[in-house]
Amino acid sequence: MIIVMNEKTIAVLKQAFKEFYFKNAEKITAPIRMKEREFGYMSFDKVMVRHLSFQTEGNLRAFLIKEMPHSVYYSCAYYYEPILAMDEKGWKGADLIFDIDADDIPTRCKEEHDRWICKDCNFMGKGKRPDKCPKCEGMRIDEEYWVCQSCLEATKDEAMKLMDFLLKDFGISMENIEVYFSGGRGYHVTVEKSALEELDQLARSEISDYVSGIGLSLESLGISKRASYEKMRRMLPLTNESGYRGRIAKFFSETEFEGYDGNDVRDKIIYIYEKMKHKNFENFVGEIVGKLSAKIDAMVTTDIHRIFRLPNTLHGSTGMLKRRCDDLLSFDPFVDAVALGEEPIQIFVDHSPKFTLKGKLFGPYKSERVKLPLMAAVYLMGKGLAEAD
Amino acid sequence: MFKRQDLLKRVGMEIEFGLEDLAKYPFLKEAGDYVKELSLSVEDLGQEDYRPAVERAKQRVMEAIQKNYISSEISEPTVELLSFPLALMLVKAMNVEYIIHRYSLAEAIRAERLLKEEKKSIISYIFKSTFNVEPISVEHELFDFKINLIEYLKRATHFHEPEWKLINRVVENGFVYLKTYELVRLIREEIRRKIYDRMKGVSLPSMPKNLKEAVHEISGVLPPPSDRFQRVTPEKFPPCVIHTLDLLKKGQNVSHYGRFLLTTYLLSIGKSVDDIIDIYPRSPDFNERLTRYQVEHIAGMRGGRRRYKVPSCRTLATHGLCFKDKILCATIRSPLQFGKKPPFKKKSTRQIRE
Ligand code: SF4
Ligand SMILES: [Zn+2]
Ligand SMILES: [Zn+2]
Repeated sequence: MIIVMNEKTIAVLKQAFKEFYFKNAEKITAPIRMKEREFGYMSFDKVMVRHLSFQTEGNLRAFLIKEMPHSVYYSCAYYYEPILAMDEKGWKGADLIFDIDADDIPTRCKEEHDRWICKDCNFMGKGKRPDKCPKCEGMRIDEEYWVCQSCLEATKDEAMKLMDFLLKDFGISMENIEVYFSGGRGYHVTVEKSALEELDQLARSEISDYVSGIGLSLESLGISKRASYEKMRRMLPLTNESGYRGRIAKFFSETEFEGYDGNDVRDKIIYIYEKMKHKNFENFVGEIVGKLSAKIDAMVTTDIHRIFRLPNTLHGSTGMLKRRCDDLLSFDPFVDAVALGEEPIQIFVDHSPKFTLKGKLFGPYKSERVKLPLMAAVYLMGKGLAEAD
Repeated sequence: MFKRQDLLKRVGMEIEFGLEDLAKYPFLKEAGDYVKELSLSVEDLGQEDYRPAVERAKQRVMEAIQKNYISSEISEPTVELLSFPLALMLVKAMNVEYIIHRYSLAEAIRAERLLKEEKKSIISYIFKSTFNVEPISVEHELFDFKINLIEYLKRATHFHEPEWKLINRVVENGFVYLKTYELVRLIREEIRRKIYDRMKGVSLPSMPKNLKEAVHEISGVLPPPSDRFQRVTPEKFPPCVIHTLDLLKKGQNVSHYGRFLLTTYLLSIGKSVDDIIDIYPRSPDFNERLTRYQVEHIAGMRGGRRRYKVPSCRTLATHGLCFKDKILCATIRSPLQFGKKPPFKKKSTRQIRE
């Protein structure tokens, strides 16, 4: 694993980014209400600069070509004075943003392609990072993520569930929602130009809990230990209801349960409730909600000052674009978000699993010198798995 | 002196809104306007004719102080209606901050009680004209109204019971469904604030004798000050907790979230439910049963659910409750870590989403 990029690698990456921004300048578009937002960027030497502001699209384009940053960010928030210190900016409102990150979704492929290494004793392992090193008990552990097709498919599923909540439950119009592939490990779903922008942190955390299925009580489904079956019968959800009640009713109605063959959903729920008893039933509903809800990163949605990667800019760790998905279902990040060209360059790869970009298969590599198209070379160098040769 | 026709015209013809209704909800602008149009002078109020109104005003205030309750039976609408601005004058004349709080809350609870039983059309009208919320009446097995999601969230986030969590509501197409009593509960704090602000704005003329006497009489029933704080005296409490306790001691209003902080914090460091309930009597809107319920609920003894955790410093900061000590709070993320962690710098957490 390459921890610090060498200068040659940085120079190659910068050059690739510069050329891309130069050739595609007109594709870099300003976010709405640009002047009210804070901008920031990180250079390839990992220096973070914040509290910037751009007045015109032209300024922004010129800046990208000149600075060749690793990453460019803009705030979800609108401020009176975006360049002042945080508590002096004057918060006006913020887009409501959801982040779905492969990191937060347990997928089986992670056991195969993720690795960690103890900084103290160099002990290495596969899969998710342990809290402390099993060998020396050290806590300083570096992780190495890899993102594969099935990781990204999993994030897409979560994004689809999220969209359903936004459209049906919250009544947000499709025109106000943008879905972006983040350029890295998942999707950003942004709600703009909506009255929701005035919501504070507390209200956003309610929204976040709602879509992630946190805190649902059985009482909201009409179920309680004290209620009689007659009362429950009246209060239980039906499949034509909306929100969680409707979703849960649909789940029960569509799922086969041994011993029940009627088709009245309320009867069916009571039947299962009686069989399982309260505690087990509660756990069961918890599992159902886990399936129905969308796995978003709650910290992101509730942070009203956060900065996000700017759409149509390159992700410094992959060389891929943060790109709007016009059709989420058919969007394929490893084709549609690949931005750099195919001119060959020679690199030294420390190690890499197999991967595909624009339908071309690469790897696996292990301590070898290879000639790869720019897009693939940058992909590996950005991740710290290869160096310019 | 009152023409029903005029009143109907004023509030729009679609609903029936009479003197009786104004008497029920005297904090409404319409009620204020009506009283204004009577153009009474302060001297008038000293007259025998107005004795019943003065009596009722006195009763309102006494009930609020002694029982946290203001009766809502209306014998004579004009008397009832007039007694409200008079009661405001009496309370204002006493000039005790916590009585002002206590009285406005009692009035808000009275209004809540009446609104719960109110006709849907009148509820909708009052919400729209006075609180800028437009509840839409629905025909539904379980609910009476729906309101806009944003209007709901702005208010419901102040409640901590699980039933107010958005996920436990029926949410459809940007609307949240509510029963009448829930809708009304949602707005109670705003009614209280309205009355409180109104009182702050009352200018005190030199009062006739009968009103002065009323003020004197009421002052006689004020509860004696006592010290209920002994059992929870600060040892090494974090600044946020000390600040909130101070507010309580001074008899000032502590926000819902402030109380939530105090209660969760004191429970976590091992104070008993009774000790905690004891610190609240000084608060302007103390209601022992309700406080006990809330404290026990937070302690996880009620509602069969979880015990609530002390909010994080970050959350407290967003509620304006953090009074960070530059050194002692430098490395902590929760008030519970105060005084337990050595104050050295740690790397900041990841802030940016790739
Ligand atoms: S930093 Fe935490 S403990 Fe210190 S005052 Fe703020 S909220 Fe309280
Ligand atoms: Zn180790
Ligand atoms: Zn994977």
